[in-house]
Order: sequence, then C-alpha cells, then structure tokens
Amino acid sequence: MKSLRTRITEVLTPAPNYKLLRFAGDEPIPARPGEFVMVRGEWGVHPVLPRAFSLVECGEFGSILVKPIGEGTTLLADMQVGDVLTVFGPLGKGYDLDNAGRRPILVAGGVGVAPLLYLAREFHAAGTRCVFIYGGRTEDDLPLADEIAEIADLVVTTENGARGEKGRVTAPLARLLDEDSNTIVYSCGPDGMLHAVSDVSQAVGIPCQLALEAPMACGMGTCKGCAVMGTDGTYKYVCYDGPVFEAAEIFEAAS
Amino acid sequence: MSARLQAPLGALTLDNPYINASGTYGYAVEYAGFVDVARLGGVSVKGISLEPRPGNMPPRTAETAAGMLNSIGLANIGIEAFVRDTMPRLRELGVTVIANTFATSVEDFVELAKRFDGVEGIAALELNISCPNVHAGGMHFGVSGEAAGEVTSAVRAVTSLPLMVKLSPEAGDICEVARAVEAAGADVITMINTIRGMVIDVDRRRPMLGQKMGGMSGPALKPLAVRMLYEVYQQVSIPIIGMGGIGSLRDSLEFFMAGASAVQVGTANYAEPGISLRLADELDAWLAERDLVLTDIIGVAQDPA
Repeated sequence: MKSLRTRITEVLTPAPNYKLLRFAGDEPIPARPGEFVMVRGEWGVHPVLPRAFSLVECGEFGSILVKPIGEGTTLLADMQVGDVLTVFGPLGKGYDLDNAGRRPILVAGGVGVAPLLYLAREFHAAGTRCVFIYGGRTEDDLPLADEIAEIADLVVTTENGARGEKGRVTAPLARLLDEDSNTIVYSCGPDGMLHAVSDVSQAVGIPCQLALEAPMACGMGTCKGCAVMGTDGTYKYVCYDGPVFEAAEIFEAAS
Repeated sequence: MSARLQAPLGALTLDNPYINASGTYGYAVEYAGFVDVARLGGVSVKGISLEPRPGNMPPRTAETAAGMLNSIGLANIGIEAFVRDTMPRLRELGVTVIANTFATSVEDFVELAKRFDGVEGIAALELNISCPNVHAGGMHFGVSGEAAGEVTSAVRAVTSLPLMVKLSPEAGDICEVARAVEAAGADVITMINTIRGMVIDVDRRRPMLGQKMGGMSGPALKPLAVRMLYEVYQQVSIPIIGMGGIGSLRDSLEFFMAGASAVQVGTANYAEPGISLRLADELDAWLAERDLVLTDIIGVAQDPA
C-alpha cells in the first residue's frame, strides 16, 4: 500500500455525465481488478473524507471513473489537468481471476463498469474472451462501451431501449447462463442490480463474484463504518472483506 | 524525534505530542508497513470491551459540513483476542499503546483494568466514559461528576498504569466532571469525545444512520473542543490531551496554547493515515524556528494580555 500525491494528466468525458480522470505520481499503484484506492483532492476541510474508487487502469498512470452524485464526486468531476489528487491504496480484495476454464460473463451497471473494464482487459491479455453485459438507463449511461467492444463480446441493454436490448441486464444474463453452464459471473453496479444478478446466477448454480459499493471513511478495515450484513449473520466490511464477495456471502438464493 | 517535541503526561512522557485517536486507527497494526507506527506519539486503540462486539446496524457513517457522524457501536475483538493476538504484534512494532477501554458498568471497567494491568507494552489506560453510540451504557458515566468520579476511583484502585479518562462534551458542566476525575485519581484528562448529531435522508424521510444518531467529529467540532479545554485547564492541575477536529499544525497549536500537553488526531487520519507524523515534523520545525520546546507553549493563551 502506498500514499501518493499525484497530478491529473488527462480528463476525458466518456459519456455526458461521467469523467475519466487519469493521474500519475512518482510510481504506479499496483492494484488488481476490483481493488480500490481512496482519493481526495486539495479542497480544504470539506468534505472531510476521501472517496473510494476502483481503478479502471493501472500502470504508469492510474484512472478512475467519476459520476457526480454528491459533493465529493462533484468536486472530483470538476477537477482539471494539473490538479493534485491524493491517492492511497491498493486496498481491499479484488476479483479472483482464476476462472477455472469457465467462460467469464461480466455484468456492469453505471460506474460499476470501472473494475470490470479492467478485468476484461486482463482476461483479454491472457487470451480469454469474455462476454460483457452492460446496462444503463439510457444510451448516456454507458461510458466506455466502445472500449469494451474492442476486447469482449459486448451485450448492451438500456431501460428505454435507445441502445441495445430494451430492459435490464438480467434478461441476457439468464439466457446466456441457460445456454452455457460452464461460465462464471463477475459483476459490479447498483445494489438492486447486484441482487438480481445474484438471484439469476445462484438459481442455476453458476459461481458469481460481486463488487459492492459503500461509503467509507478509512478504506482499510479500521473504522468499521462500511458494514453489510452477510448471509451467515455476521457483519462483513466492504473495504477489507470485500469489495468483491461471492454472491452467496451477501445475498440468499431466491426461493 | 527531537527532544523539543517531548510531551510530559505525568509519569508518562511521549516522544511527540500527536496521538492517534481511538476508533480512527484500528489497532495500528493495519497501518504497519505503510506508516512508521513506532514514531507516532501514541495510538489509542479502538475501544476494547470485555466481550467482542459486532457493532451497530448500518449505515454507520454520514458526512456533515466539515465533519462526519459515526455510530459504529464499538465493534471490537474483545480484550482476550486483543491481548493474545494484537499485543505481540504491537510490541514487535514498538507502538506506544494506549489501551482505550469501554464498558457499561463500573464492575466491567474494573475487570478490564485488572486484565490490562501487567500486560507488557501498554503505556496507559484510557477510560471511554463518553461513547454516545451504545444503548444503555457508556456516556452516562461521562455526563455527571459523581458517576465519572466513581468509575475513575474504582479503576484507580486496581491499576498501576497511567490512567487517562476521556470526557464527553455532553456533560452539562464538563469542568465539574474534570474536577471529579482528577480528585478520583486520574493522571490525565482526554477531551473531547464526539457529540451526538443527526442527519435526515430527505429522500427516505428517515434518519440517515441505522441508529438514527451518531457522534460528530471533524473540523466543525474544533472551536467547541478548544473552548472546553481552555475552561477545564483553569480547573485542574493534571495534564490534558486535547482533541476535536485537528487536521493541521495550526489546529494543534490552538490546543497546545489553550492548555493541552498533547493532542489526539482522529477524523483527519481517514484522509491521510500518516498525518500525525507530518504534524510532528511540522511542529518540530515551527518550534526550532522560534527556539522553543513544546512545553513553552502549553497554556500560553491563558495568560492575561
């Protein structure tokens, strides 16, 4: 783990309401797909906490995908090339890339695309072709879809039907799992989507790894703020038991 | 660390006056290899109870203007696991350990103190009589002089460790509580713990936190903490450790000048886990530039103009 003072080297707008911030420090932060970093700009005492982000890219520069939701993410989304970003990490437990010969099916919603694009690139580099199901409310909620199409079999869904299949990610997911049981599911997105992906996967007994999102203070297991109740009746901490969990650790199989 | 940073706290002298506050730094072992934890003035570990505690229903944190609320509920591994598993690692790392303890009865505070007495590598015991986040317990000791004095003297009778008592800003008269714990044998006063606040999630029309209320910390708390410390300093002669929103050298100087012999850094650790070491280095340079030592500035703001 490192704490780096970095500078923003590039700000991209991969969709109307999303920013991709690339930053570089003296050394890279060696995060694996699904691991995360804590990020804060030099904005004084408010907001006081850093924000947790999975890395989209990791190497001589790192990058995060930002959607302005609250005050912290809005400040981050407004940052410019040259601005200072304090980044520490890598933190947490990422995806297990050992797919044991199973075909990876990646399922993303919204900013949940960030760790999965990184994961798809790792599979691609290892010569494994993934299916990538990517859902958004509209065609404007699909940042980085073109990058995905270059390296994976992209299946897009939108709730308004403006791009790809009309509806949600679970419909193509259920079809794919029905066609091929030698598969493994990796997902990241809103809670409701993760729950649905878990239901579909657990119903047919396909292994499924989910990356959860939670507001965090410390990011490293010390403040005990990011608790979620696990299916075994004990609290799990998103920052160090996760953020990636086996679906069955978090969601009961649908009855 | 240079000698000018030494912070005398009665029988205990810290190498520098920046302690990481309980609840914001885990057991310190999590930061080893990332922060030079042996150089920290001290670490007040996450509050330890007799039995492990799972903590409160989430959500447990909410951000507020220049601060945050937490209602963690003292999730901790319990004294047995702490002494058996964590202390050996802390000794190996050379951390100055302040054992922060939490209980809901005098008997349990006494039991915790007995079990910590004689554990190698504990620099001091800190009684958390001011946690706002646990039902039926904790804070009621900190809001009355009588109850605070009772628990302090009971613990004093069974421990040979330097005894710190952490006060609550929710006391009607914090000076009364401070005088009571001093009279009962406390060696050091730590102040202040968080003060209860609430955030409403207007979309859900419900309190944001699972427990509705949470302890507020962070920069927004600082003027309140400095004022209370300034007042308490006039009423007791034992050393005081100040805390509440410290995130810069100047913040900490305010506490020293109000009368703090040392300070604790809490919420600021989340944004910068090594902040206490940075502040110690900055204080060292600030003192050197003025040819001062830390003890020269403690309480100087109390002097008549």
